[in-house]
Amino acid sequence: MASSQKQGLLTRFPKEAKITKFYGPKVKDSLNLGGERRDIKPPKGIVVKRTNFGNVDRNSSRKTWTPVYHKSNDMQQIKHLYWRAGFGLSPTAWAERRNWSVQRAVEQLFAEAAKDQSIRNAIAAASGPFENFSEMSQMSKDERRKEARKKITADTADWIQMMADERSSALKHRMMLFWHGHFACRVLQPNLALKQLAVLEEHALGNFRDLVLGIARDPAMIRYLNNQQNRKDSPNENFARELMELFTIGRGNYSERDVKEAARAFTGWSSNLRGEFVFRRFQHDFGSKTFMGKTGNFDGDDIIDMLLARKQTAVFLTRKIYRYFVNDKVDEARVQELAESFYSSGYDIGRLMRNLFSSDWFYAPQNMGTQIKSPIVLLVGMMRTLPTEFRDDRTFLILQKALGQMIFNPPNVAGWPGGQSWIDNSTLMLRLNLPVYLLEAGEANLRPKDALESDSRGGRLRKLDARIDFSRLENWLGAQQPAAAAKELAEYLIVRPVQLPALLAEGLARQSDTARTLPMMLVGVMSLPEYQLC
Amino acid sequence: MKRRDFLKTSAISSSALLAPAFLRAYNPQRLYNSRAERILVVVQLSGGNDGLNTIVPYRNDLYYQQRPSLAIAKEEVLPVSDELGFHPAMSALQSLYDDGLMSIVNNVGYPNPDRSHFRSMDIWHTASRSDEYLSTGWLGRYLDQACIDCEQAHVALEVDDALSLALKGEKRSGFAMSSPAQLKKMTDNRYLQLIADHPHEHEENVAYLYKTLIDTQASADYLASQARVHRSTVDYPATEFGRDLKQIAELITADTDTHIYYVSLTGFDTHAGQQGRQQRLLQQYSEGMKAFMEDLRQNKLINDTLVLTFSEFGRRVSQNASGGTDHGTANNLFLMGGNLRRKGFFNEGPDLTDLDEGDLKYRVDFREVYASILNKWLQADALEVLNGRFAGLPLI
Repeated sequence: MASSQKQGLLTRFPKEAKITKFYGPKVKDSLNLGGERRDIKPPKGIVVKRTNFGNVDRNSSRKTWTPVYHKSNDMQQIKHLYWRAGFGLSPTAWAERRNWSVQRAVEQLFAEAAKDQSIRNAIAAASGPFENFSEMSQMSKDERRKEARKKITADTADWIQMMADERSSALKHRMMLFWHGHFACRVLQPNLALKQLAVLEEHALGNFRDLVLGIARDPAMIRYLNNQQNRKDSPNENFARELMELFTIGRGNYSERDVKEAARAFTGWSSNLRGEFVFRRFQHDFGSKTFMGKTGNFDGDDIIDMLLARKQTAVFLTRKIYRYFVNDKVDEARVQELAESFYSSGYDIGRLMRNLFSSDWFYAPQNMGTQIKSPIVLLVGMMRTLPTEFRDDRTFLILQKALGQMIFNPPNVAGWPGGQSWIDNSTLMLRLNLPVYLLEAGEANLRPKDALESDSRGGRLRKLDARIDFSRLENWLGAQQPAAAAKELAEYLIVRPVQLPALLAEGLARQSDTARTLPMMLVGVMSLPEYQLC
Repeated sequence: MKRRDFLKTSAISSSALLAPAFLRAYNPQRLYNSRAERILVVVQLSGGNDGLNTIVPYRNDLYYQQRPSLAIAKEEVLPVSDELGFHPAMSALQSLYDDGLMSIVNNVGYPNPDRSHFRSMDIWHTASRSDEYLSTGWLGRYLDQACIDCEQAHVALEVDDALSLALKGEKRSGFAMSSPAQLKKMTDNRYLQLIADHPHEHEENVAYLYKTLIDTQASADYLASQARVHRSTVDYPATEFGRDLKQIAELITADTDTHIYYVSLTGFDTHAGQQGRQQRLLQQYSEGMKAFMEDLRQNKLINDTLVLTFSEFGRRVSQNASGGTDHGTANNLFLMGGNLRRKGFFNEGPDLTDLDEGDLKYRVDFREVYASILNKWLQADALEVLNGRFAGLPLI
């Protein structure tokens, strides 16, 4: 990796020497799986009517298929666990762990997470992250803005690569991704983005109280939610309101008066030019406040403690975690049960997650392979499982934009709504075509949407600059018959049981160039809509 | 085009099967059609267009005091009233104004304005209050209401690679394509065409993905064929925006099953060097719109079409030190079409003596404009779509 081209402050993990077998993409060679090309030209002015198009029940018997689960259900459970508590397994890890018990896998995930502090290590290793600020003060406002944006892009790319790195803890980073969505924050200064990530990393599986206290003192969040402007004489309620509505107790459990009083308690919580938290005494309101029925000279920490003392906070959080890690459709009884022990543990996040991943119901068929992958999970999943390496930061940026999830740039403070909202016609077609762009160097021709300051829409991204390491998959599957190998690959890459199209086997049988067999097989499996689920 | 008149009576979500049988025989498309005969086109000027230099208060001394080097000189303004005139790059738009095809609503905004592009754009897209976060857009919720049984995915079409929040609903969403050709490129993946017919499970998300895939392929085929039905003879500016508008006009003329179109022109965030950039953009915009309206007029569609142009906010009254303007608040908004109730200026221009910390105060809530469009033009229930009571304005 040419690290000199990178802008990120984080130093990349040193890469161990490895033999990367790279198949040069053949540009004009598109997947030839045979079959008649469908006539797609309808007569002029006539709606193309296709069977099952329209309001017809798409689950009509012809197209519905009831899966017979693979004999070894445990293998599916392992797959499910590693996708939800991480980003899937690498080929090597899959070979090693697919026969493990769930219990053993859970232990291993938490043991890895306990050791991982990759963000903090990288920050410590980077030389004086804040010297860039003075360097930047020489620039014009416009240049500064551009420079900052470039650095955020680079830091984001670095984080995504860390998530994908086999040596970092998948669980830790998956939790951080969850918390980044929970404490959704648009960050404009690169150093502050890293600082916030370090807070998320430190407490990702720790105590929720520490996490909230860290976020309340986090300069990026303070700026995003205008707590800089929250002063004794003119309180700004933004942070106090979101703290309650989105971060802790949830709507309907507090009054407007509570918001006002809490805002007073956070007056003077600010940050300085060097991006450090400062408490500005003279802006702080030391007067008596009445919050949720109690009166006293409360400060921000007191407010947070009073919020955590309410059981609704545990329920609110647990419900959100259930949605993210288990199922969009919430089973309230399970949530109450989990929340109860979360509350009595004093908000021990690690224990809550261990409970969840160890529960029988977590492995119920309706919870396995039924969640639409977020764009980041999709990308990181590809990077871990193939494995793939994207070679410039811009590719990450444009893919994040086009797929609809930009790190450090959530749609709003409520985070990404997730689920089916990830999917519309354009994002789905991009997702389904990604394997072709990656493996067959198909022309992507992506155009980033918002270039507010220039007349042109910015350059298109014609091709994805990615390098795929086929060696491990090759070692594993190379000796098998293509059709059997494709089946194993589907079992490895897709959580739900799928039927492979007969045409894939036929296409593979006809493929005479053995170097093309594996890419074709991967495209064949990864283009299935079921690949979008985990 | 005659059948348009026959079909005018059919309500948006009513089944086309209610149409007289001879019409169905005449036009098989109607069997699958659920669109009203009215077309809405939304044009978004992204980045925050400086409204004060677009519709210029050329008799106002305060305007010239606040913008010593950025104000448009009196003699350059294209005057349309005693107080207000167009930016000199907008002579094309002035002719639409003169033809009675344009309404200008001044001082449009919302309470407690947000000066962040992204947030303010979200507020415009979702029609939320400024302290409220919604994850569906106003047109998306309209689709939820009016189009829950629509069979086509392309009832609302955004000319872009990605779909805007405005068009995302709870159950239904709009459809995005930058061009039929680009869309076809993605759906022409032969393997994906085969997969669409692949047996799959009944599980909800699996079914949802397959349904979206199948709908997208069908819409791609349909839109590609619709794009070949009619070739416009009008000269559009040779810009991306011009091509997008031409595309829309051709699809409308081809009687496509789409009744909402959405298109953006970006680059209006003029913090520095505003003069040249805004001039280029406004020229692109007004020449594009002139060609578009001319195209519709030639095809006798101008009374069936309403165009709304907005930007997420206006800019500060006073210029900044870099020959530009910073993010502001209230702004003007344009409606175009042959069915306008109040042609010309809907209300008075901005009051520069009554500012809110250097920014214009809004007089018209943008959701009132949406309410008028929903109730009067789309025959929808604005109360439900906008989550609140907005009486609407006598615009259309």
